[in-house]
Amino acid sequence: MKRLIFLLILPCLVVNANAQKYMTKNGFIGFYGHTPMEDIKADNNQVASVLDISTGELVFQVLIKSFHFDRALMEEHFNENYMESDKVPKSIFKGRITNLSSVDFKKIGSYDVTVEGDLTIHDVTNKITTKGSIEVISEGINANSKFNIVPEDYKINIPGLVRDKIAKSLEVTVTMKYSPLPSK
Amino acid sequence: MKPIVKIALLVVVLIAIGGLFAALYLYNLKPRDLQKAKPHFSISADDFQKAFNENEKAASTRYINKIIDVSGTIASVQSGEKNTFNVALKTGNELSSIICTFHSIKDTTILRSGNQIIIRGVCSGFLMDVLLNNCVVVKSWK
Repeated sequence: MKRLIFLLILPCLVVNANAQKYMTKNGFIGFYGHTPMEDIKADNNQVASVLDISTGELVFQVLIKSFHFDRALMEEHFNENYMESDKVPKSIFKGRITNLSSVDFKKIGSYDVTVEGDLTIHDVTNKITTKGSIEVISEGINANSKFNIVPEDYKINIPGLVRDKIAKSLEVTVTMKYSPLPSK
Repeated sequence: MKPIVKIALLVVVLIAIGGLFAALYLYNLKPRDLQKAKPHFSISADDFQKAFNENEKAASTRYINKIIDVSGTIASVQSGEKNTFNVALKTGNELSSIICTFHSIKDTTILRSGNQIIIRGVCSGFLMDVLLNNCVVVKSWK
């Protein structure tokens, strides 16, 4: 995966062209689940992502251990019992914007997009499709999305005792602020 | 009731109350304040990045979930969602740095590009950069 990202970047460093690829290493992905017992909430501010505006391809990757909880014990359980982050340290999304033609990357403004691709969590890959928005600003590109995932779809085992405590579905928020990759 | 039964009941009740408080305490435990913690390792940003770049597996075993003091020069500072700040430390590799996330920092004036700094954080691992979380400033030079 790391190689893949480097391969995506490499042409930009070599070819002298207008920025086609945009990148961030400081992206935000958070999730939130509500149950009568408690709210589950975690933030990850270390998301690495590359957006290729010529093809609409998008890659995201995160370290599971970079998810930050307000409660230390919840973070420990998340890593050890549910995500098994020692065994499966990363989550990856690889996909593309399907309605790329409706985005004018040369014009400042906000555009609705649909993104589809493969989301790999806990070593289980599922196809997902989600709505989002692309905002073209003078400094770069912002991307936002909200969608739901079901832990069961990713073989995340939740023991019966606490199953009702943990939300069946989690709302995932994605907020990216991309900068153009330097082209010399 | 026999005195022995009374005492036994009292003990059971006390244990139950103690257990409840212990559970509540654990449940509400905040992430560790690293300012008061002792680091497991002290290392320069460059050596830290090299360790992961050269042998990710060995470096992961050695450093992940450990408290690390990393010294280096600030390459960039980015503010993130919900009052977080990401500070990138320069390494010998242009494409890869040490990214340190501060979840609650009051004084951000010391976080300026070019400043020398020692940052303490918990290592989460390696993506394109080495990632540290729950970071605090140990020492800074303006």
